[in-house]
Amino acid sequence: MITFDKVTKKFPLGNTALSDISFEIDDNQFVFLVGQSGAGKTSILKMITQEIKPTSGSIIVDDFDVTDSNFSQKIELRRKIGIIFQDFKVLSDKNVFENIAVSLKVIGTDQSEIKTEVKRALELVGLSKKEFVFPVQLSAGELQRVAIARAIVGNRDIIIADEPTGNLDPKTAWDIMKIFKKLEGKRTVIIATHNTDIVNSFQKRVLVLKEGKIIKDQRKGGYEL
Amino acid sequence: MRDIWTSIRRTPYQSFSAFLILFFTLFLTLILFVSLTFLYGTLNYLETKPQVTVYFQNKTPENQIFKVRDELMSSGKVLGIKYISKNDAFNIYKQLNKDNPLLLEMVSADILPPSLEIYAKKPIYLPEIAEYLKKQGDIDEVQYEKDIIDKLLVLTNTIRMSALIFFSYLILMSIVVLTTMILFKIALKESEITLLRLIGATNFYIRKPYIMESLFLGFTASLLSFGIFSSIVLYFNPFLQSYFKGITALSVDIFNYQLTIWPLNYIFFVIVFVSISLFGAVIASVASYIATNKYLRV
Repeated sequence: MITFDKVTKKFPLGNTALSDISFEIDDNQFVFLVGQSGAGKTSILKMITQEIKPTSGSIIVDDFDVTDSNFSQKIELRRKIGIIFQDFKVLSDKNVFENIAVSLKVIGTDQSEIKTEVKRALELVGLSKKEFVFPVQLSAGELQRVAIARAIVGNRDIIIADEPTGNLDPKTAWDIMKIFKKLEGKRTVIIATHNTDIVNSFQKRVLVLKEGKIIKDQRKGGYEL
Repeated sequence: MRDIWTSIRRTPYQSFSAFLILFFTLFLTLILFVSLTFLYGTLNYLETKPQVTVYFQNKTPENQIFKVRDELMSSGKVLGIKYISKNDAFNIYKQLNKDNPLLLEMVSADILPPSLEIYAKKPIYLPEIAEYLKKQGDIDEVQYEKDIIDKLLVLTNTIRMSALIFFSYLILMSIVVLTTMILFKIALKESEITLLRLIGATNFYIRKPYIMESLFLGFTASLLSFGIFSSIVLYFNPFLQSYFKGITALSVDIFNYQLTIWPLNYIFFVIVFVSISLFGAVIASVASYIATNKYLRV
């Protein structure tokens, strides 16, 4: 479970990214964070991954108070989270297999288990035949599939995606969203997006943000810009 | 090993520069280290020679000589004293001049003075011992190799100080240059490090490849330095043989272990190689630790 309680984030130059927001996300829930650029979507995701700390309020992720966690707790929590970025962040000097295996190596998974898990993830994202291909030979959609596979291996309970379809054409974006759909009910999935069509078709919980505040929280919602 | 090699191949200039700096530092360190070892060995060798010889007047009774000897021994500054009686001196004289009967006929035990050969615990005690002896009665002459010992002491201290300054500069320079080289490499992989941090990698996991590569470069550089240095030493071995002619052995004390440095032997070479490899590893590790530290704030 993820709990934000009266969280405010002000940056040093004075701009407020989040203003006194509170919400809860249950285990294995599928949630869209929507809102215009600068609404605070990325700030929420970065607080869950502990890249930034709130100015006030508390954030509890899987019983960890992330506002008060020490170094080893941070690492432990990050090992439960899979992250997907708009720009993929796939390592160019590693092939598809190695890119996914990184996520398992950092948590100390043994070699035979890495092989099994990576193959399973590749099947899930539909890249079984491109195991040894390097990123330069992949399309944008395939790169995002690699990023998703990397995020889901290693029993990561929470999957966070920041504009995962932002750099993709509509057809590929839908293909990517189908992969997320497969995770429904198995992991907590939080997707920050602008894509109204996708949000509306999924009919999942939607948190609508505007100027750092949650203006709408719909259990089976849609979204209009 | 494959990862190290891949990393070197991808950033060949940075890796080569790091290697050259390490090689330069280690090679100079090796020369300094072995030169100092030989200087100390020579000093130790000279300390085993009689450092003060005091000749008594012919009429001096033995008990007077023994009194001086006992007083010196109880001073705590003397390692050993050898008494050479008139007869002992004559025997030595005979041995030295056995091929010259004329000289043997001219000299008898009566005209040779009894003497004491004194070995000081430290060369700095020599002037004090000589001064003490000169104040005693019945002394004919006090001889000691003050100039040689003094020069050697000054030389050793000067070299040690210069080596220390030069050595510190070398270490600082190599660590700074190596850190910069590694920072260049890390800058190319900054996004990878950011990603690794976000997916829960420990600091050690992130540091490991850089430290391993630095250790590899450090070890290779020490191997090459040692190889070149050994070749030079072995090439000049005939010259060294003639230079150290007459000296049967030189040794230094390392943690109560007497390491023989001359004649050249494999234990000495092994110790030199192990020391230089460890030194290379330490420099490389420190540099990579400092360089990676900048990127490891979680």
